[in-house]
Amino acid sequence: MSVLARSVGNAFRNKVRTAAVVAVLAVAIGLALAMLVANQAVGAKVQELNASVGTVLTVNPAGGQGFEGGGEPLTAAQAATAAAVPNVSAVVGTSSLRLRNAAAAAAQAAQTAQTGQGGPGNQTGQAGPGGQAAATLTTSLTAAVDAGTLGNRNQQANGTTGSTGTTRQPVRSLPITATGIGAEVDTTGKGLNITQGTGLGDYSAASTGALLGTTLAEKNNLSIGSTFTINDQTYTVTGLFDAGTAFGNNAVYITLPTAQTLAGTPGELSSMIVTVNSMDNVAAAKTALQAALGSDKADVTQGQNLQTAVSSLDSVKNISFIAFIAALGTAGLIILLIMVMLVRERRREIGVLKAIGAPNRTIGLQFVLEALVLAALGSAFGAAIASFASNGIASALISSNTSTGAATTGRGFPGGAGGAFQGGQRGPFGGASQLLNSVTASASPGVIAGGIAAVFGVAIIGALVPALLTARIRPIEVLRGE
Amino acid sequence: MIEVKNLVRTFNSGDRTIKPVNDVSFVLEQGTLASIVGKSGSGKSTLLSLLGALDKPTSGDVVVDGVSLASLPDSKLTEYRRRDIGFVFQQFNLIPNLSAVDNVMLPMEFAGVRKASRLERAKELLEQVQLDPSKHDRRINRLSGGEQQRVAIARALANEPKLILADEPTGNLDEQTGDHIIELLSSLSRDHNTTILVVTHDRVLANKTDRRFRLQQGKLTEEPARERAVAATA
Repeated sequence: MSVLARSVGNAFRNKVRTAAVVAVLAVAIGLALAMLVANQAVGAKVQELNASVGTVLTVNPAGGQGFEGGGEPLTAAQAATAAAVPNVSAVVGTSSLRLRNAAAAAAQAAQTAQTGQGGPGNQTGQAGPGGQAAATLTTSLTAAVDAGTLGNRNQQANGTTGSTGTTRQPVRSLPITATGIGAEVDTTGKGLNITQGTGLGDYSAASTGALLGTTLAEKNNLSIGSTFTINDQTYTVTGLFDAGTAFGNNAVYITLPTAQTLAGTPGELSSMIVTVNSMDNVAAAKTALQAALGSDKADVTQGQNLQTAVSSLDSVKNISFIAFIAALGTAGLIILLIMVMLVRERRREIGVLKAIGAPNRTIGLQFVLEALVLAALGSAFGAAIASFASNGIASALISSNTSTGAATTGRGFPGGAGGAFQGGQRGPFGGASQLLNSVTASASPGVIAGGIAAVFGVAIIGALVPALLTARIRPIEVLRGE
Repeated sequence: MIEVKNLVRTFNSGDRTIKPVNDVSFVLEQGTLASIVGKSGSGKSTLLSLLGALDKPTSGDVVVDGVSLASLPDSKLTEYRRRDIGFVFQQFNLIPNLSAVDNVMLPMEFAGVRKASRLERAKELLEQVQLDPSKHDRRINRLSGGEQQRVAIARALANEPKLILADEPTGNLDEQTGDHIIELLSSLSRDHNTTILVVTHDRVLANKTDRRFRLQQGKLTEEPARERAVAATA
């Protein structure tokens, strides 16, 4: 019988105790692995966020904060000024539009006329939070998401449907976000994830091509080459994109000149997405940009909500790493204590082995291997626990550490020429909380293997101390007991 | 040849100092079958542990084939026990969760004997000590006292040691098996030139040894071999 076989046999000598030890180890190892998985998932998300938006600044018209404000729209000339600021590598203008289904809008208007209710802003020029008239256009598209309680409330508040009286209001769908873009990026400056078809080609020229969010296309049974209308003008779907969220996919992208023409505001921009050449220069570029554009003309922001999100995720990452180390240390401590107990319990046996010529290293190895057998069993069950629990633990960690951040991301961003949209759809960075929630902690084999390797390392360290203790046992103790 | 020189082992018990082995000296030629008799607590087991390098003497020395055990480091003493010594403990001291054959194979495993060879030899030794083959693979804790004693004797013989130290090797055996074990030890001494030192209360066994010592209050004296001589003549 080899040392390994003897160690495996010894590990199962007392089955009840082995089961108890393995159960405790499995919980500790499972927790450690779940924390590691969460840590890796959050780390990857932070990296992704930093890579995509870490160097992006957003410029909005000054005064366009929250549901109040006013100011002047941004212009192409200001975009040129921004592009000239040192360390600015790109400036992309956007023009936001609000699309309503033509049939739904007509039905609402008819209902309003019958009931004698109605608010002031349901035709065109609905007041956006930026205080500027947003171009509300009709379309053949049907929104892919319902307005929900918040959306209905906001629509009523804005006078879209009227709010007086006790008449039950019909369920509304959200307006569709249409954005004219000067480059193939979304409203956060992140490259569009086109899943089917192609982009719009030259984004600085008018075009009848459009990019649709996947859920919006699905809702309207559209595919590449299909057509739809905005204000009775026909557009062709050239590509489908996936923004990662339901609201984000209830959107249309067209070229910037096309949007400006549709809005009747040529040369005006809702916002500018400014990319800085490196993370190190973001702060300086922000200051220079604000000075160049004038604080009374434009607000330069650094995607605060995303920063909050990244900061929250960084906290989660740190917490999960500390928890991983703590759980790993706990597993090591359990192994250490168990092995110390076993060594004390088997002193006589160790003495016998020494009396018949077993070298210290053989006896020590036997105990280390026995610890590894227990660790392997604990790891197997722990990995199973982690694979089931890691996503839940990661979600719990994120929700408990990002409530503040999520609250701040719930605000709509200021409206520009086209105004910002309400009713559940947040501003350019409004998806931050959804980004947090989109962290999926899947227990990949690589991460689990890495975690188990760490567990084995800790198990070896935990078993070494008791194994070294065996060297101090003298064989005479065998005979003294007789 | 084993040469014991002025061996002393003391223990402190409260204010008292106990000397279970007090200035013991003797020489055993290779191949001698010797016995030590004495009352319980007279220091017989302590003397065996000193000869087997399980314990270190307070003073004096044990010289085996010209090598002083007192001069050897722990690793060499382990090697000495593995290569040159076979122990039969009074309480057997077998590993309870291993089978009989696994217990006998253990010393050979430590000595680096290949698995096939040690399995073959272990079974051969268990047959020599008359353990029923059906019990070779049985766990120790499922064997009777006498069966365990036979496994302990087989284990002591595993590495063909120069010196076998046996503490009451026939104590738990019936008369017939005891006689067989005595014959086995005698043949090892006679045919394989193995030195055997047994501690026993069994007069029959003691009388069959080449030399008989009595340990009394730590002092070792050799008894005349008249009865043995008579038995040999007969």
